[in-house]
Amino acid sequence: MATADRVLVVGGGPAGLEAARGIADLGTPVLLVEAKDALGGTPWESYATLTPHLAPTRELMAEVKGAVEGHPLIDVRTTTRVVASEGVAGNFQVTLEHDGTRVVEAAGAVVVATGFQHFDPGRETQMYGYYEYDDVITLVDAERMMQAGQFVRPSNGAPPRSVAFIQCVGSRDRRIGNQYCSKVCCGIASKQSIEVKHLVPDAKVFIFYIDMRMYGFWEDQLYWKAQEEHKVNYIRGIVTEVIKKGDQLLIKGEDTTMGRPVEVLMDLVVLSVGMEPSAGTLEMARIFQIPREPHGFLATVGEPLDTVSTPVPGVFVAGAAAGPKDLEDTVSMGGAAAMRAVSLLRRLVAQSA
Amino acid sequence: MATTTTETDRTVPVRGTAVETTKTFRPDPGEAPEEDLREAVLQLEREGEWIVQRVPEPYYEAPTKYGRMKKIPYERTWHHKSCGQCGHIPGYSTSIFWLNRVLGYDYFDPRDQTSCTAWNYYASATSNQAAQAAVAMRNFAAAYETGYFPLIHCGTSFGHYKEVRHELVHDHALRRQVRGIIERLGRPFVMPEEIVHYSEWMYAVRDQLQERVVHDLGPIVSTVHPACHYYKLQSGDAIYDPEIYGGQRTAVVTGVVQALGAQVADYSTWYDCCGFGFRHILVQRDFTRSFATLRKIEVMKEEANPDVVLTHDTGCVTSLDKSQFAAQAHGRNVGVPVMSESQFAALAMGAHPFRVTQLHWHSTDYRPLLAKMGIDAEQAWAEFQEDVKKIEAGTMDYLTWESVL
Amino acid sequence: MEKAYADVPAEEKTRLYREVVQDARFDTYLYGCYECGICVAACPSARFYDFSPRKIAQALAREDVDLVYEQMNDDVWNCSQCFSCLRCPRGNNPGGLITIMREVAVNNGLRTTKEALAGYTRIIYKIMTTGTQVSPDMLQEDAFPDWGPQVKDVADHLAVWRRALPPETMHTTALSWEVEERTMRELYAIWKWTGTLDMIAQLDEGLHDIMEEIMDDALEDSGIA
Repeated sequence: MATADRVLVVGGGPAGLEAARGIADLGTPVLLVEAKDALGGTPWESYATLTPHLAPTRELMAEVKGAVEGHPLIDVRTTTRVVASEGVAGNFQVTLEHDGTRVVEAAGAVVVATGFQHFDPGRETQMYGYYEYDDVITLVDAERMMQAGQFVRPSNGAPPRSVAFIQCVGSRDRRIGNQYCSKVCCGIASKQSIEVKHLVPDAKVFIFYIDMRMYGFWEDQLYWKAQEEHKVNYIRGIVTEVIKKGDQLLIKGEDTTMGRPVEVLMDLVVLSVGMEPSAGTLEMARIFQIPREPHGFLATVGEPLDTVSTPVPGVFVAGAAAGPKDLEDTVSMGGAAAMRAVSLLRRLVAQSA
Repeated sequence: MATTTTETDRTVPVRGTAVETTKTFRPDPGEAPEEDLREAVLQLEREGEWIVQRVPEPYYEAPTKYGRMKKIPYERTWHHKSCGQCGHIPGYSTSIFWLNRVLGYDYFDPRDQTSCTAWNYYASATSNQAAQAAVAMRNFAAAYETGYFPLIHCGTSFGHYKEVRHELVHDHALRRQVRGIIERLGRPFVMPEEIVHYSEWMYAVRDQLQERVVHDLGPIVSTVHPACHYYKLQSGDAIYDPEIYGGQRTAVVTGVVQALGAQVADYSTWYDCCGFGFRHILVQRDFTRSFATLRKIEVMKEEANPDVVLTHDTGCVTSLDKSQFAAQAHGRNVGVPVMSESQFAALAMGAHPFRVTQLHWHSTDYRPLLAKMGIDAEQAWAEFQEDVKKIEAGTMDYLTWESVL
Repeated sequence: MEKAYADVPAEEKTRLYREVVQDARFDTYLYGCYECGICVAACPSARFYDFSPRKIAQALAREDVDLVYEQMNDDVWNCSQCFSCLRCPRGNNPGGLITIMREVAVNNGLRTTKEALAGYTRIIYKIMTTGTQVSPDMLQEDAFPDWGPQVKDVADHLAVWRRALPPETMHTTALSWEVEERTMRELYAIWKWTGTLDMIAQLDEGLHDIMEEIMDDALEDSGIA
């Protein structure tokens, strides 16, 4: 059977965009499928600014998004889902569904870039009250407010006098079943703490943490910056309970450097929710029969030197579908997946010729 | 008998159990982080390891923490009594039996039952895993032999038996050892299909209770203390209801009290324990007194000013009630009657406050509550005194069910 | 500052530490600790004592036999066994670790354990010989002076108030409810067969001997033992 000289990229977030652009720039046609009605993925949809420079997401991502949308070799299909796949490397017959109509498309290789979803705090085993009080929000809720250029208490629309970030919500937790660090939440919380201080200069901001994980340059770009320039208070110890008291939220934890329980009133609590494989990622695991690694994300082979090859020949993964990733790693994986997909196709085309 | 409290002042606003957000969460059993132990129990039956006693039909299905359903029997229940309830708060157990009788349910009050002995186990550690499991399995065997299904009155017994179940499922050597003991006693080796607490039964029959309420509970504000050993030990197996605190806290007691028509007020130390401490209540009581009053009763008073504190476990009633006397002597802001929701439900349904709910065993003044419920405490006490006189005079052996139904 | 219990030989401390970690439950009660403090924040005893479930977990994880020994003597009896600490995100059970440490302390008859349980022997006697933990007749004014005059009220009227209870099983004063003789004997058999009675010998030999006699007499012609 002839090799289909085209790569299917599933998912139009940062990883999928970079993969699509890379593949097309190398001269191979791309079929880019995105379930939502716009490209850009989770950052585009939910994040006002990005780590580590606090640049506006939409300005920053406009370039790659435009490059993909305008590329003659990229066939972009939004509001479209992959619902079935047959065949093997070199010739996958993939069924797509759009508006209730199904079509079958051929692709020689596949890049799965279906990403993550944020942990739902309803499953948290600590008592954080996300589903009890409006003034308990997630990092994502905070970004949505910042997209609108404000940071207020949802209960009354007033700027908060005190804000507490709680780290590791849904991450590093055997009871919940997520025994991994989500990598970016420390950086995002620190980024947001700086932004809170920009928007509400008088607010007191606290970050309750187990370990601050600010790899590489994030150390002084975000952590030191928040602590030294913006006087954000980092408190070592995790909150176990959030409860309304009067019109504020009483948070209870241990200050582990002091070795004593603490109870403090806050106006607003931000839960630093971690990453879990998205519904789309789980669906692609099923459709392309990609094994899942022990944490539930898509498995790769050849770690640590090959970050994008799955155990299924011809199927590659990029971004947070393979586990928690920062944007730097996500985009790098998009490029690596593009290179591996194209080189595989060229080999197969040469063999069949 | 007890000191009086001032008339409840309602300047303190009541924060109820409705959530203050439009966000909603529906648990997905597929996301449950723990195995369903009941599956493992049934699997061990298939492997011939033990007999599983089925929940008698018809039963109620209640949602638990992760969205799994739990079978709660209505009747043919074997009442695993609580040593502390029967011993020191006898109106607690009496009310549970009374409610069963009022609803017309067939139940069994066994003499072939020991305490779970977990109070001692947690207090003094003068026991061990095998002994604790053998005590549990002996009681389960006794229930099975009667054909009635265990309904556990005590929160600690309930939590501890769930721990025992977990250990017996996962520890083959322990299971073999305990089975040997039970067989040597000439008893069958039986694990119930569900381990059920009486407060879950209360939750299951709450609408039937509501139909029989005779007093207007509208003005009554209560605070609820959820018992640690009910929902912190083996936490997946406790009832959670999306209507109660958005499904984020256990719904037993609270769901029942609201169904009865009373208000449930929130307070900021609801998650804290009562201070019982097992050994503390007996030999380190300064801790129990301090914790029960400073962290629980005073916070409730300040934030909700309740007419009554309701809970569903032995130790909690004792700690929260008895600890108030000394605090009151020191002029602290305490003085709220404490009882089980079974006693409260019985009162609401017209039970006699002394013949059935036996409030004279409680310390903190309950008379203002009775007055607010429209119950004439003086008259009732006079009636009870008549019973006492008859018993003393030998003209009546015992107070009987016939006289209280 | 001199270390606590410096006079106790290192081998003895190590032996007790090993008894704790060799318990069948230990491996699922302690995985590791990253010191998040959730257990301390949820702990009632941490609010009133210099007590920390986090330090219990840490000391065991670090194999710090000196500190574990110290905790086994000075800390474990402060725990309320409420198991609020079970929310540990690492899956640890600090309250359960304390249960194990207490059992080891009892089995080895530590002096501090005898002191901690000194006021407790009547309750052990009650539970082990009657099958009900607390009985109505234990409500005595001198035992609970801080509970107010209501306790005396109950004590004064105990016999008649017990008869004024509708449930037929609850007319007892020395037991919480009527327990059949066969049931009691089966309980004695369990205490003997599981080594629970032997544990008491380490704690209080006199109590052990009294209970052994009661149990042996009851079991002798029961056909169980």
